[in-house]
Formats: sequence, structure tokens, C-alpha cells
Amino acid sequence: MWFQETSKRKQIGVFDNMLNETVENELQQNIDMIRTITGNSTDIVIREFLLGQEQEIPAGIFFVGGMTDEEMIQKLLVQSATQLTIPSSYSREDVLAYICKKIATAGKVKRIKKWHELFLALMSGEAILLIDGVAEALSMEARGGEYRAIEEPSTQLSIRGSREGFTESLATNIAMVRRRIQNPYLWLESIKIGEVTHTNVSIMYIKGIASDEVVEEVRNRLQRICMDGILESGYIEQLIEDKTFTTFPTIYHTERPDSVAANLLEGRIAIFMEGTPFVLIVPALFIQFFQAVEDYYARFDIATALRFLRVLVFFISLIAPSAYIAMTTFHQEMIPTQLVIAVAAQRESVPFPAFVEAMMMEVTFEILREAGVRLPRAVGQAVSIVGALVIGQAAVEAGFVSSAMVIVVSITAIASFATPSFAIAISARLIRFLLMILAALFGFYGILIGIILMTLHLCSLRSFGVPYMAPMAPFISTNVGDTFVRFPMWALKERPHLINQTNVVRQGSNQRPKPTNELEKEGDNH
Amino acid sequence: MERVQLNARQLLVLAILFEHGSAMVIPLGIDARQDVWIAILCSMIFGAGLFFIYYRLFTYYPSLPLTSYSQQIVGTFFGKTIALLYILYFLYIAARVLRDFGELLLTFAYPETPLFILNAVMMMTVMYAAHKGIEVLARTGELFFFSLCLTGIVGLALVIIAGLIDVHRLQPILEEGWKRVFKVVFTQTLYVPFGEMIVFAMLFPYIDQPKKTKIVGWLAMFLSGINLASMMAINIAVLGSETVSRSTFPLLNTIREIRVANFLERLDVLFMIALVIGGFFKISIFFYAGVIGTADLFRVKEHQRLVYPLGISVLLLSIAIASNFSEHIKEGLNIVTLYMHIPLQVGIPLLLLLFAIIRHRSSFLFRKQEKK
Repeated sequence: MWFQETSKRKQIGVFDNMLNETVENELQQNIDMIRTITGNSTDIVIREFLLGQEQEIPAGIFFVGGMTDEEMIQKLLVQSATQLTIPSSYSREDVLAYICKKIATAGKVKRIKKWHELFLALMSGEAILLIDGVAEALSMEARGGEYRAIEEPSTQLSIRGSREGFTESLATNIAMVRRRIQNPYLWLESIKIGEVTHTNVSIMYIKGIASDEVVEEVRNRLQRICMDGILESGYIEQLIEDKTFTTFPTIYHTERPDSVAANLLEGRIAIFMEGTPFVLIVPALFIQFFQAVEDYYARFDIATALRFLRVLVFFISLIAPSAYIAMTTFHQEMIPTQLVIAVAAQRESVPFPAFVEAMMMEVTFEILREAGVRLPRAVGQAVSIVGALVIGQAAVEAGFVSSAMVIVVSITAIASFATPSFAIAISARLIRFLLMILAALFGFYGILIGIILMTLHLCSLRSFGVPYMAPMAPFISTNVGDTFVRFPMWALKERPHLINQTNVVRQGSNQRPKPTNELEKEGDNH
Repeated sequence: MERVQLNARQLLVLAILFEHGSAMVIPLGIDARQDVWIAILCSMIFGAGLFFIYYRLFTYYPSLPLTSYSQQIVGTFFGKTIALLYILYFLYIAARVLRDFGELLLTFAYPETPLFILNAVMMMTVMYAAHKGIEVLARTGELFFFSLCLTGIVGLALVIIAGLIDVHRLQPILEEGWKRVFKVVFTQTLYVPFGEMIVFAMLFPYIDQPKKTKIVGWLAMFLSGINLASMMAINIAVLGSETVSRSTFPLLNTIREIRVANFLERLDVLFMIALVIGGFFKISIFFYAGVIGTADLFRVKEHQRLVYPLGISVLLLSIAIASNFSEHIKEGLNIVTLYMHIPLQVGIPLLLLLFAIIRHRSSFLFRKQEKK
């Protein structure tokens, strides 16, 4: 019923006309209206009571059970029913204004006149107070209910660093970042997306560091979304990304508040969403997917070594099977003699060409992995045992595949798990199959052509206007310290150059640690 | 013309990759025997002179490519004819390099694969690059430049570690005097690869700091010249001039000589990387110049539309230009140099520059008179 008429944006479905009207005078009529619109849903709690002490006014309080803080509503009821003294001289309108000022339990109180505003507030977990004889309602902030507690993030683990991960609650997530960046210039903008779901979405950035242009672009792209509902930040990601037809992610997502804070400090923009622990970060560069928060917590030499390792790992997960195919089918002369004899002896009993063998094993592995991800944990173990036995031993013994192939597949799999970002690992998985086909057709020439095509494609991508391969291509010398290598902390003087950033210097000029006597000398000179 | 900008570094990288392109894998100027490195260095100096002509023309028309300013200098009819000649030249050279590349690949690694298929795969990649435009090509160049440098350094280190270099093979220096060297310079190495910088006359308008163009071009020629000369010198020092002159790919033979620790041997893949990446950039730049030249001459707004028809033409041309490899090489050394490289790299640019100077002098005088 939503979006049947594509030309017209509809607010709410069947009762459209009624919702644009204002709230009625009489309490009973209003209660009936709420009952009709919500279809008598049993979780909508309607509590009628008499308000005030001197003047007893019939009133009703409405909220959605489970989404509100029940304790607070109890207090509210007690306060308004027993403690509130309303002077008899007050008219009904005055009463409302009086309550608005007098009720202290609720943090945020708002006066509402239109039905659709009322329902928006009610459904987002606010408590609504209606008074007989007043064509206006009060909405009171009483959001609460049960959420998953803050736990360690399940996708981006780290040995050193914060153990906090985002939860499904937007407010909690935002607070976690605020706690890390205690600055009034950490700005937050909220919009509701989803014609049916009315999901709260917030963009967060540091005013003065983030480029206003990119913020404006993010705002525009978010406002352009016109859909019945968005349920996960993946929806937003797909609707605002620069290019759909690419396997590479152009938006970063993370579960870690420290990662978000670091990105905000680099001038990026975070997009939070109610109902998911994954926060989007734009603009995202290719190299970001190889960076883990721990790189910055560990010392630079170790971090650099790990970065190298990750890039190597990415390449292994891309080309290991295709290199095997190319070597065994086209370029046997490149393999050292003893190894080529060993491989040939193993392949003697294998009835398939190397390409079919590799394809078979890779597909089997993908099936195993998919099964492992979706199955309940208890059954998952059974899958891994079957996989290990079937692939590891039985297939080789039965002469279906050579044991060299098993090694290649295992290396590829481990390499793909070692890539820090799942989003980039999964695109490597797809490209791997293309490269395998190219290698089967043209050997190393095919692999090289595949890599050139991939690089051309990567270089043509942009994320919110920023070239995806920056700072390597285009080369930005001041930013290279934080790419495949990580320079010491004090050498990372500038933030990544994104679009039109003016505020790029992020640390003082002599942050390099020195023996104290040298520091004193410098102090004397000044 | 696309509305993009390249910075000086990107142009430098593109020019270096372009100069190395196919020159590093073929026996460049081997007729000079062990003096080939002198020949390459000499052609580098003369090449810098040629580049200065192209640069001067660019300073008169800093926002126009070659195909446009030729029309401004010698009038619409002759200018358009010249532009058309250049477009055909660029596309033809693209086809020639593609043929070279395919033949090299065929003889070196894929004797059973049809030439057309090998060429088609390469051309597909080149077309994709041209479709994406010069900015993407330049960025890709930046990335591959590093990997190519790394490959080069690894290769050089291995050659040295394996103890292959015998400097005596480079002697006697100037065995037959300067004559043989200059003969090679003026019949071969000056035009390929140095004179081929004329293609950058199509790319100069993209540069965002026009003042740096001259230094960038010279630096690219200088670095490539030194590197190519030392590569050829190493080839001769490893193999001897006799073997190099009979070899189709001296670089490959040198790499095959490497044997370190009974493990690092037969590193043909290094050669393959150099061949494919170098070939890709050379063909791409020629092809791209041809495409934007056509777009400029025939006023096609989106050059992307021309990529597929022209790309397929270049692919077919690369097969059709010669019936076998020896014919192809013979044409390249004798006919193309005399009838294409010399007039189009030296003759026409010189004439254009002459006319441009006269034109600007007279208009300068004219303006002076008006002021009076």
C-alpha cells in the first residue's frame, strides 16, 4: 500500500487524511482514534487517570510497552496524579502549559498538535499525555526498554585496545563516541529514513575538521533515500555508495567506537543507525581496509610489518590458485626441477586439468565456509570435521585432487581470513575466480592482464569524491606514512587529504621523543 | 578533450613508463654493438632537443592539443590534414607496438596460442583504460611505476649477486669510431623511443602546472635514457654483444642467466611483468592520443564513443600490417622510420614551430602598431 502511486510520496498508509488533522478536544475521541489507527494493538498501553489534586482533569497516558522506560512512566503517573496541584483558576489550555513546565521526571517534553506527529513520537518510544478538553498533546521522552549490553565487538577483535563494541541502540552508540571525543565541535545531525520504518539515522562529524562539502554531500545522499524501510546500515551503504557495479567496498563499516573516533579525527563522517551495531564511515579509501585499530596502538615497526603482511596476504588470497593453474598448465619451466617432478607425480593420478581441479576445490571450500557461517554452532563443528576429512584426506587419497592443490586452497583460505576487513576479503574471493579463469586461458599473461584491469578499475573508483587509491594514486607524499607502512606516531603530522580540507595538521611540531636534557636545551633557545 | 587534470608527477611517471614501454625488452639500437649505450645516451640528448620543439609549440598554445593548434598555425585545411596524419600515425604506431608485443609473447611463452587472441586480450585492456580516461591511466601508472621499479631493482640485484657482469664485454669502446654510433642514433634510437614523445603533445593541455612541463619531459627522458642505456649495457656485459645482436629479447636472456643459491632461477616472470606492463602503457598512450585526437578533430563530445570502433580497428590493423614477424621488423626499421618517424617527429613539428614563431611575431608587431 506504500508506493503504489510512485509519483506521490505518502506519509502513512490507509488513514492518511485523518492523520493530517489535529488532535481532538475530547479525550475519549482521541483514545478511540489511537485505538483505530493502531488496530487495537495490545502492546500500546493506554492508561486513563485523573490529573492533579485541586482540579481533577481526566487525562490519558499512552506508550508502547517494551520500548519505554516503565519505571519512569510510573514516576510520571505518580507525580502527575498525586503530587501535582493545579490551581482551580487555570483553564484547560493553561493546565497543559503548566504541566509542561512542572513535570520534572521527563527529560524532553514537546507539545504536539497533529496526529502524525503524535504517532511518530508514540512509535519511537515516547510517552504521550492527552488531557480532556485540550486539542493538544504532550510527548515526553521516556525511551528505554531492553537492549543488548555493550559487549566486545565480534568482527573486529584486537588484543590491545578498547573492549567496547557498538550495540543496537543508537543513543548508546553515540554516547560511546562522545565519551572518546569530548568536544563541542563533535556535531550530530539526525534524520528519519524509511517511509514505513521511520528509522533514526544520525551523521556525526567534527566541525572544522571534516570538509563541509563532503558533509553536505552525505546529507544530500541520505535525504534522497525514499524507501519503505531500512533495516541495517547495509541498506544505506548500497543506496549512497558512489558506484554499484564494483566488487570493492567504497564505504567502510565498523563495530568499534575507537575506530569511529579515529576516523572522525581524520575528517571522515560517521553514519549511525538505530538497530545495528555497524556504523558506516565515509569517505573510505582502499588502504583503510588493510588498517586495523591495533596498528596505531602497537609500535610503528611492528605495525609496519603487519601492514606488509596484510598486503601480501591480500595478494596471496587473490592469486594463489591462479598462479598454481598458470604454473602447472603453462609455465612448468618456472618451477624448480625437483618441485616440478614432485607436483607432476602427484598430478599423474588426478583425472582433471589443473583448472577444473582448482575450481572444484575452491568451490567446495566456499560451500564449507558458507555452511560454517550459517549453521548453529553445535552443527558447525560437524561441518568443519567433515570438511577437514573430506577435503584434506579423502579427496587426495581417492585421487580426485593432488595434495599440492590442497595446500594451495588452504593457504588461500587462511590468507583470506587474515585480511582484516571482511568487506575487502569477500571482493578478493570474487576476483579470485575471474583470475583463475584468466590463468587457465592465458597463464601468467592472463593473471597480469587481470591485475591491470583490476588496478584500472580501482583507480577509477571514488568514494564521496575522494580517489579510492589515494594516497598512492594520486600520490600524496605527506600521507604515505600511513599506507603500506606506518611511520612513527610523531611523523604522521597530517591528516589524510580528503576533498577540500583546510585543517590538515594534527600534531605539534616536535612530538618526537627526546632525552630530557635535549628538550631543556630547546626550551632555552626559545 | 576530457576535463581532467594531471599533476607533474603523474605526467612524469606516464612519460617514463612510455619511454620504457617496449624499448626495454627489444634489442634497442644493437647495430652499434657494444657502444649501444653511448648511442642511447646520444639519442637522449638529441631527443631532448626534439622535445624542446614540442614544448615550444605547447607554450604558444597551452590549452590545445597538437590536433587543434596545427589548425591554428597553418589554417583549417592544412591543419586538419596534419591532424589527421598524426591521428593515423598514433593509431598505426599503437597497432605496431601491439603487434610487437603479441609476437614477443608468442615466441617467448605461448607458441600455440593464436596471435590474434593474445593481441585481442591486450587491446581489450587498453580499450578499457582509454574508456576510463587519462586520469585513471595516470593513477594506474603511479601504482605500476612502483612495482616496475621494484622488479627492476630486484632484477639488478640478482644479476649482480649472481656475478654475471663482465665489464670487459663492453670493450673496446668506440671500436669503429663515432660514425657507427651516430648512424644508429639517427636511423633508430632517436625516433624510438625518444622522438615518440611527440604523442605527449596531445597530453600537455591536461597538465595542471604548465610551467613544469619542460622539466618533466626532460627529466623523464633523462631518467629513461640513463636506465635504458644501463639496461642495454648490462645485457651486453652479461651476454656479450654477439649474443645480444642475435637475440630477440636480450633482457629475457639476461634474466634467464640468473642462478642464485640453486633456487632463484628461471625468473621469466620478471620479464613477463616488464613486458606486459610496459607494453600496456605504451599502447594505451598511443591509442588514447589517437582517440582524443579523433574526438578533437571530428568534434565528438565523448571520446568514449570512439574507443570501441577505433580499438577494434587497431586490433585488426595489428594483425594486417605484416604477414610475419620478420616483415614486421623490416618495415619498422626501414620504412616506418624514413616515411613516418622522420617527417612526423622532426619535419612537421619543426615547420609548425617555424610558422608559429612567424605568426606570433607578426601578430605581436601588429598589436604594437595598433597601440601606437
